[in-house]
Amino acid sequence: MAASKSTNTYNRQNWEESDFPILCQTCLGDNPYIRMTKEKFGRECKICDRPFTIFRWCPGARMRFKKTEVCQTCSKTKNVCQTCLLDLEYGLPIQVRDAALSIKDDMPKSEVNKEYYSQNIDRQIANVDGVQAAGAVGKAQAPSDLLMKLARTTPYYKRNRPHICSFWVKGECRRGEECPYRHERPTDPDDPLADQNIKDRFYGTNDPVADKLMRRADTMPKLEPPDDKTVTTLYVGGLGDKVTEENLRNHFYQFGEIRSINVVQKQQCSFVTFTTRSAAEQAAEKSFQKLILKGRRLNVKWGKSQGQQGVTAKSIEGGKEPQYEPVPGLPGALPLPPMPSDGSQPSNFFNLDQDDAQLPPLPGGPMGPMGGGPGGPPGRLPQGPPPRMMQRQQPPPPGAFGFPPSTFPSTPWLSWTSSIPSWSSSPTPGDTSTTSRCQTPYSSPRG
Amino acid sequence: MPKVKRSRKPPPEGWELIEPTLEEIEQKMREAETETHEGKRKVESLWPIFKTHHQKSRYVYDLFHKRKAISRELYDYCIKEGFADKNLIAKWKKQGYENLCCLRCIQARDTNFGTNCICRVPKSKLEEGRIVECVHCGCRGCSG
Repeated sequence: MAASKSTNTYNRQNWEESDFPILCQTCLGDNPYIRMTKEKFGRECKICDRPFTIFRWCPGARMRFKKTEVCQTCSKTKNVCQTCLLDLEYGLPIQVRDAALSIKDDMPKSEVNKEYYSQNIDRQIANVDGVQAAGAVGKAQAPSDLLMKLARTTPYYKRNRPHICSFWVKGECRRGEECPYRHERPTDPDDPLADQNIKDRFYGTNDPVADKLMRRADTMPKLEPPDDKTVTTLYVGGLGDKVTEENLRNHFYQFGEIRSINVVQKQQCSFVTFTTRSAAEQAAEKSFQKLILKGRRLNVKWGKSQGQQGVTAKSIEGGKEPQYEPVPGLPGALPLPPMPSDGSQPSNFFNLDQDDAQLPPLPGGPMGPMGGGPGGPPGRLPQGPPPRMMQRQQPPPPGAFGFPPSTFPSTPWLSWTSSIPSWSSSPTPGDTSTTSRCQTPYSSPRG
Repeated sequence: MPKVKRSRKPPPEGWELIEPTLEEIEQKMREAETETHEGKRKVESLWPIFKTHHQKSRYVYDLFHKRKAISRELYDYCIKEGFADKNLIAKWKKQGYENLCCLRCIQARDTNFGTNCICRVPKSKLEEGRIVECVHCGCRGCSG
């Protein structure tokens, strides 16, 4: 350690001089006019024990005078304010910021190691310009969502208040009105936030404030993908009058091909279905709690399987949907055709010739919220293989599609069934196919 | 011990009239000097010194400049003997400084930003009903 300014300056940790402090807005206070004193080598840095330039100012009326506590080298290593040791960008404790940005910055803490490290950092900083933070923090600078959510939006001037009057706590304060210290109850000594240590806060270990924040981060609402792997639908609520299908399409197309978008204007919600599950998951991740269209924050959640409006976000609704008794006499629901997980073209599950343009336009049927426009679009429906399934060359994989012919329903959302020569003689609305009059176990002849 | 006289000459006429009061204030000063520091702030121990000093000088100033009750000769004698502070009285003759508490509070070289002490700020300019006891002499406001 340099004992005076003229001894060896080569390869030693030197006393630090600076012209202007590195401070955050909260520490500076609310008054734009500040008088600050500068004292060369006024105190030792609380971390690296080097004499450095102390700046001292009053952060506002009835605030205690604050001064810089750590030297500029230490504050630049961690990109923090010299007084409060909170991050300059987010105002969060070092431990929280490092956890969120996955920065592992192992500063040595023992005496000689510490000096050696800070002397090297000093030299590095002298070579780089002052804008980027030195060390690990400067390199990892992708803006983090979590940090932005945790950060405060307004400055917290309570930090700058005077300390508690210890005489008053004992009942002995003789200064009365004039006492500049706070006459309030001191904080509970059992509170874990009461024992904070500047070295712990700086090195990012054992910081009770950071622990509290990270616990809060864990309890923030998270969107879990539903366990049902076939669901690729996102429920988007809170549309209002301004957000249109076009807006939704323009936003969501970046995540993958949109299978369909259905807007229910009456309930101000919509359902966006993707063709691939991974696209849907990405869209959910990027839009949950973040999507703002036309100035409205949209409520994005997972939708239930097609046709039903529902919520499966994990932490929000613990209750179950009311389970209804299956209506007797109706056949059960068909399983969905399997969707390929790698996002290749929608399933050629039935191994049919693609682009068969000779298909008759399929009648719409009650398509449910999934279906999109009224009536089937002419040509190939993306969800319905053409009604030649009866002549399929390969048998379907067992379990995925196997249904005995007797359970052949006219399910509303699989419109292709309606154009197959129907075995059922109970026509669905809009069904224009011929209905045979043969009897099936499930229906009696009409008419 | 009675106060040691600095001049060999006998005091001028009128001295016997003012001497008891001056002696009393001197006694007060001695007490302030020998008080213990227990229960007081470090700076608070010095406040009675400044207060008594102000009081002594005030008495002499009042007698001569305000009431004109003593002669010039006696006034000069008091100042010479150290019963009154010449410099402080010089300030009291100026407009705005009539009630100045002590000379430290207007010394700009003693402050960080080259200003006067807080006790020099008139109460009307000092907002919030704030009570101040200045750190030099414990003054609560000497100009407003």
